[in-house]
Amino acid sequence: MHHVRGFLGFAAATLLAGCVILPAPSVAQTASKSDQWIHVRVENKDDNGETVRVNVPIEMAEKVLPAINHDQLQNGKVRLDHCHMNDVDLRALLDAVRSSRDGEYVTVQSNENDVRVAKNAGYLYIHVTEKKPGENAGKHAAAKQGSSKAFVGKESRVEIKIPMKVVDALFSAGKDELDVVAALRALSSNGDTELVSVKDDENTVHIWIDSKNVSD
Amino acid sequence: MLLLAKAALGLGAFVAVAGAYVFHEGVIRVDVDESRGDCNHVHFWVPATVVPVALHVVPRQQLERAASQARPFLPVLREVSKELRRYPNAELVDVRNSEEHVHISVRDAHLYIDAVSNGDNIHVSLPVETISDVADRLESVAPGV
Repeated sequence: MHHVRGFLGFAAATLLAGCVILPAPSVAQTASKSDQWIHVRVENKDDNGETVRVNVPIEMAEKVLPAINHDQLQNGKVRLDHCHMNDVDLRALLDAVRSSRDGEYVTVQSNENDVRVAKNAGYLYIHVTEKKPGENAGKHAAAKQGSSKAFVGKESRVEIKIPMKVVDALFSAGKDELDVVAALRALSSNGDTELVSVKDDENTVHIWIDSKNVSD
Repeated sequence: MLLLAKAALGLGAFVAVAGAYVFHEGVIRVDVDESRGDCNHVHFWVPATVVPVALHVVPRQQLERAASQARPFLPVLREVSKELRRYPNAELVDVRNSEEHVHISVRDAHLYIDAVSNGDNIHVSLPVETISDVADRLESVAPGV
């Protein structure tokens, strides 16, 4: 009888210890499979070879951003400085783009810049290629192909692809405000997307969204 | 003899339960190795359960001072700690160049901060739950945040 009581006592103690020792991860809530992550990767090509990789769950950014109130960022909204808008009515511009059919709205080609703004299949595309006159490359290019091609030496290329619904959400807050949280919410429902790609001689910047919790 | 066995069993069970409770939240680990200057080496492990207890022992005046200094960051700390619990495994930040490497990640509900710079190594890990505890305690003495 004593043996049975001793065994029961030991079993109860072990069970209690097992319940208490359960590690935190097992009780922590886990992210759902549909969670989207925003990834930022910046690679510097100088001798130092700096690489920055940031991976943030969009839902986490949605929750944390409203808690940051600093300068122009207040409650998840960025207040646009009216002075820097150069009297451009962004809302009217956006309405015009939204209500227009798919197509190329702006195409500028010059020796210094190529700019292309287009809308296609629910996405707004902004491509800017800045041609900088490179010292050596420019000379070589000029010698080989004539002066008009001298700007091809060094160039930076910016490619932005934004879902229109994200743009709508971004401008949904009101005049002179960008609703970043609403834009993030719209982004998370959009699925895997390449957002920004910047390439120049010194840096490569890549911003994209997918469901992986690590960058490639 | 039987009484002694019972006492040993009781003591063993108590130690097991107490040990399990102390370590159930995980461990805070700090490793600092300096290769320059005084070449300091700091290594310690502390059960995370100690932190909430220690926060209750700290004099309220000191805690209020810390809370007032941390006040602008408390809402962010609260939200980050709450959200990190949802992502038990994640690589958050990785910055590396030829001389330095900074890595911030979440593994098994622990936040890991690793920094290596010119032979100096700093490795800190702490349970995400502990960040919540600290944020909650500081908020309780800094109302209105």
